[in-house]
Amino acid sequence: MSSQGMGGDSRSFGRPSGRSGGGAGARGGAGAGAGAKDAGGKRYFFRRRKVCKFCADKIDYVDYKDVKLLSQFVPERGKILARRMFGTCAEHQRKLTEAVNRARHIALLPYAAD
Amino acid sequence: MSDRTYEILFIADPNLGEPEVDALAAQVQGFAEKDGGKLQKMEKWGKKRLAYSVRRHREGYYVLLVVEGTGVMVKEVERRLKVTDGIVRYLTVRVDEALRKSERRKAKRALGEEKRKGRAGSQPARPAEVQQ
Repeated sequence: MSSQGMGGDSRSFGRPSGRSGGGAGARGGAGAGAGAKDAGGKRYFFRRRKVCKFCADKIDYVDYKDVKLLSQFVPERGKILARRMFGTCAEHQRKLTEAVNRARHIALLPYAAD
Repeated sequence: MSDRTYEILFIADPNLGEPEVDALAAQVQGFAEKDGGKLQKMEKWGKKRLAYSVRRHREGYYVLLVVEGTGVMVKEVERRLKVTDGIVRYLTVRVDEALRKSERRKAKRALGEEKRKGRAGSQPARPAEVQQ
């Protein structure tokens, strides 16, 4: 139950950051982040504003050969880090997933570790 | 149909020597060229540890080929890769579309940035970012 609440909440977080990344980088992002906080209203504990790393670094093509980049999103266990954890925007999360799966097939990344 | 760009990445048996891997790469290149493919780039990454064991191998020799060709070519190349000894695993990815898209985006972004710079003039767009 609580997890579902989390999901809905973070989705409202992810969306503005994704939009800002598409257009204007950090500039639009600041306003969007503040708006989300206002909407969050009552439950008000500190949460860092999450910005999609790919948008921030302007990576358009997520390369499956770039293990160094991909492994940032694949913690020890070998699972892909959820969007709500890292703040990746929808578009880039999709590309990331594809890249990770390719890298897994060619044994650059593990399917599951330990 | 115009040709498409594909990346063919394969893992060769690590027990093979350097010349044998070279021969294997040339062989794969031959597969592609037989069906009208053109080699754009060949990269040997050398021996790398595999993330998990494939056919009882813990490491493998990675070779990347970038080839321009048709879907028919890919089909044939993949079939041959499957039956070639010394190839532990392979992956073929079509890259031209994604790369073109990212190029277009980059161009668009560059254009947008220029516009913003021109419009902003004395407006302190940068400092606002720093404060945050």
